Amino acid sequence: MDSAWTALDVVTQTMVQKAIADPKTVDLEKLSNAIVDQSLKDLSFCKDAGRMCYAVVQAEVQKAATSVFRRNLLTRLQQEFTAREETRNHSVQEWVCLVTFICSIFDYIKVNNAPLVALVDPIYDCLFRLAQPDALMNEEEVDCLVVQLHRVGEQLEQTNSQRMNQLFYLLRDGFLLQEDLSSMTRLLLLEILEFRASGWTLTNTAHKYYYSEVVD
Amino acid sequence: MWAGLWASQFTTPPLQCHVTSTLTYENDCKPDENGKKGASRWSHCRKRGADGNLRKSYEVEEPGKCSHSSRRPESFTTPESEGPVSRVKNWGDEVEAEEMRSNVRRDMHRYRRRILEADFPQRDRKISSGSSDSRDSRDSKESPAKGDLETDETTLIRRQKQINYGKNTLAYDRYIKDVPKDMRQPGVHPKTPNKFKKYSRRSWDQQIKLWRVKLHAWDPPAEEGSDLQQIEEIDLGEIMDFELDVECSADTESQCPTSSGASLSLAEVIFSIYKHIPSKISSSDPILEFF
Repeated sequence: MDSAWTALDVVTQTMVQKAIADPKTVDLEKLSNAIVDQSLKDLSFCKDAGRMCYAVVQAEVQKAATSVFRRNLLTRLQQEFTAREETRNHSVQEWVCLVTFICSIFDYIKVNNAPLVALVDPIYDCLFRLAQPDALMNEEEVDCLVVQLHRVGEQLEQTNSQRMNQLFYLLRDGFLLQEDLSSMTRLLLLEILEFRASGWTLTNTAHKYYYSEVVD
Repeated sequence: MWAGLWASQFTTPPLQCHVTSTLTYENDCKPDENGKKGASRWSHCRKRGADGNLRKSYEVEEPGKCSHSSRRPESFTTPESEGPVSRVKNWGDEVEAEEMRSNVRRDMHRYRRRILEADFPQRDRKISSGSSDSRDSRDSKESPAKGDLETDETTLIRRQKQINYGKNTLAYDRYIKDVPKDMRQPGVHPKTPNKFKKYSRRSWDQQIKLWRVKLHAWDPPAEEGSDLQQIEEIDLGEIMDFELDVECSADTESQCPTSSGASLSLAEVIFSIYKHIPSKISSSDPILEFF
């Protein structure tokens, strides 16, 4: 949370704190836009931004019994999602941040302990895009794809297993048939294939293979 | 030819087909557009209010999936699109609808558990004395047998929305601060209708109206003599309807001050509001002098 927190400017930090203390005193629409803006710029921020948003959503529910922040957040996210192809065309970095942020929201924010069903298909749409041949050429995008699958893959599969199966057809095809992939990309793809095949976990030996040389 | 076909299928203004670059918010279910004319079981009766004017559509708009009343296809093909285009939904609406659905389900589980707990002592009594009809009917009012619960999700969600409208008022806020639950007197203090009990549509709507009328007693004062204003502002059309509805008294014994079978008169409705007298009303209030 520290890196996410310090990534924000002081004004937004103050807004977040005030919103959690007393949601009615803050312009929640403005706050949600500020958080989304920051997350589209900063990859390290958007991983944890979900948790920050969750805190604000909870505070609003408990103290004001409204859900203005969540609604504004979702509306803005939907706009960004709809424009994702253009975003990808002018900045792959921003596109990757968008996917990471949406998945972070999906991971943290629940409705009565159930995941946000409205986000399931959009997330799949994003992952499918990342699994396309042109995207597999960018390590940035492949990295995003596998990280998100590690994070929310199991939940996604529980809500819609058919699309997950289709996604993995694409990944297998990419791994086997696409000739111009870097070895790093193929490593990442193989790992995620094994990860899912073992029930969204890695066996000890597989873990050793992939991560034994990773420095903590 | 395409335009004609397209226009005849959809009652909304033409949607933009380039889904990636524009945003179109649509709900799955828009009863006001589909037209409840003839579609609901209400349409053959109560077409006019007591004032003689045609009533607006009775249904509350329900976002989210309500398959039996939505006739809009999930996807459609337009001349410009390359294949079926799915209807773009508003994430905010979808999440709120899902939240309402899961809240209603959770409420149902809690209510069922409460009934089960209450059932145990009563069940013993029934077995030992042999159930008589009057006892059964009385029991079922307090704790309906499991099969007598309202379980239709669409109905429950509609009812919950009506309850939310009432609870979302300043009057309700002031009421719950003013009168804690253990101090509430049945008949005097408004009680939220129980959405899980089986009621006809009309009976339920009447209960909601009564409840909301009663809550008006806790409206924040705008100026002196405001309570008198509030009585005058109550839509007499609504109150007149009470007299025509016989079901009201049988099902809402806790809300209606009359325990006989008689339907409510205007005076009784006003009296029920004034029974719990907020301290600000002066004793020289002209309406009170009637009583």
